[in-house]
Amino acid sequence: MFKHLFKLIWNKRKQNFLFLSEILVSFLVIFAVFSFLTFYYQNYSKPLGFEYKKVWSINYDNGLLTKNNDSLQLFYDNLYKSLKAMPQIEEVTYTGANYPYSNSTMSTGVNHQGKKFDRVNNYVVGADYKKVWNVSVIEGRWFLPEDVVTKNKHIIINETLKKQMFGKETAIGKLIGNYDDKEKMKVVGVVQDIKANGDFWPAGNAMFSRLDTGYLKNTSDILIKVRDGADATFESELYKFMANTMRNAVEIRHMDEMRDAKNEVTIMPMVIFIIIASFLIINVALGLFGVLWYNINKRKGEIGLRRAIGASGSAVSYQLVMEAMILATMSLIVGSFFAIQFPLLNVFNIPASVYIIAMLLSVLFIYLLVFACSLYPGKQASGIHPAVALHEE
Amino acid sequence: MIQLQSIEKVYRTDTVETLAINGVNLSIAKGEFLSIMGPSGCGKSTLLNIIGLLDEPSKGNIKIDDQDLSRFSDQQLAKFRNQKLGFIFQSYHLINDLRVLDNVELPLLYRNSSAKERKMLATAALEKVGLSNRLKHFPTQLSGGQRQRVAIARAIVGNPQIILADEPTGNLDSAMGNEIMDILINLNKNEGTTIVMVTHDESMAHRTHRLVRLFDGSQVQ
Repeated sequence: MFKHLFKLIWNKRKQNFLFLSEILVSFLVIFAVFSFLTFYYQNYSKPLGFEYKKVWSINYDNGLLTKNNDSLQLFYDNLYKSLKAMPQIEEVTYTGANYPYSNSTMSTGVNHQGKKFDRVNNYVVGADYKKVWNVSVIEGRWFLPEDVVTKNKHIIINETLKKQMFGKETAIGKLIGNYDDKEKMKVVGVVQDIKANGDFWPAGNAMFSRLDTGYLKNTSDILIKVRDGADATFESELYKFMANTMRNAVEIRHMDEMRDAKNEVTIMPMVIFIIIASFLIINVALGLFGVLWYNINKRKGEIGLRRAIGASGSAVSYQLVMEAMILATMSLIVGSFFAIQFPLLNVFNIPASVYIIAMLLSVLFIYLLVFACSLYPGKQASGIHPAVALHEE
Repeated sequence: MIQLQSIEKVYRTDTVETLAINGVNLSIAKGEFLSIMGPSGCGKSTLLNIIGLLDEPSKGNIKIDDQDLSRFSDQQLAKFRNQKLGFIFQSYHLINDLRVLDNVELPLLYRNSSAKERKMLATAALEKVGLSNRLKHFPTQLSGGQRQRVAIARAIVGNPQIILADEPTGNLDSAMGNEIMDILINLNKNEGTTIVMVTHDESMAHRTHRLVRLFDGSQVQ
């Protein structure tokens, strides 16, 4: 029967072109949706790598401060102590602008054994950065005060970069080249990946270097971890203190709000995309339903004949559903040929598993869609009275 | 072989009730070649559909091979049609998207026949009707007479005991019609197949063993 149906479909391939095209387009759209969803889900299911609750950022403009490094060092040391002395504040750290959820990025390249690793997030951090975020060190150690005076600059890398560079070997004590491979940096620690761009994006490669005196004039952000009692009143006092200290306006932001905003940037377009795709799928489903319904009406004579020569009502229904499924299979073969190019060509530098899972989900979805759309017309076909169908023809 | 007892068929709509068959009693012996004649709308095709289990009588009983078919399920009726009955229609009812051989194989698809066996039986059936050189053709590439011969091959491929032919020569010229009639007579004579044929053509009807005439749903001869 399967071969017979395939012959029938093949011989009617021109008439089935619309059906085949509809399924192909649906598959490609669904594949895109599932690729996004799988990508986001895979990232979402990975640990965040840090604690954002009760962390505030203070952004300031230090343009009015002295440019002298020593004076600046003294100024920032005093500021650190003042903040740390506040009972509502648990931890304080200076940081480069690209802290998590900040919408700011700073990346560099590193070299190891002749291989270059591009787009490595470069976090310049203060000594207590780890305490503020509660970052986990999984190998080696966090920065020590003496790390600022070493022959080779000491750095900490994240586990993704460690895996890419060293595999299962230890990274501690290894020297890696900077972006032009002229200076060597020593790895002293490996930290758990931190998803700095929101829950739905990968951590990517990252390295951390210690914020030194020379960098202070570029610094315009402080991160603080507050205690439970830190409320709006305290925030107001903190604002006044910082504004007076900096003699300039400052901005205090809460990480949980920044995280929500960051996630919304991912979620909202995805929701819109899903809504548009859903409308498309509804249209396609109605189209498939219509084409199958039309085909059944056009093939009443054939259905009558099949009933006359020995097909039961359920056999007719099964045949029509199977025909739709075979047509879907033909479209899916073509669609899969295009879809498989994404993992093969490593499009968008996304893991192959994302595309493979998306393909499997899309195939399953299309089969379910076609099955659902063909079920009712198939049932109607089984109810066609053979004598009437043969007479109509 | 076939017994019809007090068969009635009524078609009902919201406003109209039409009596298509009115108390027909008919007994058809095994190996008989029976023709049914009558004016258009007298119920010939309806009667043939009832004999062919494609339609249910409103009243009365039908027995084939001493089996009361009134309690058969849809599945059982389908199996019975497949194994015992062959159909030939005025408009051939061939599937134009399938080649001749595939069209003839159709009834065997609803049995547990292997592809090899189906091909062998279909080829043999087509040889019987003189179309062994048209296996790969599509129905649209054949003449009317050839199409009807394909339909006959399809009807006999499963070796049924009964063939029901609804105006098999109705769309053909007299020469072609006679050719088709010759094939049916040979089938009846050589294979012992019981044939019930509806026709408008007196000359064809007179070539059969017995003629039944219907008028307004009632048997008048």
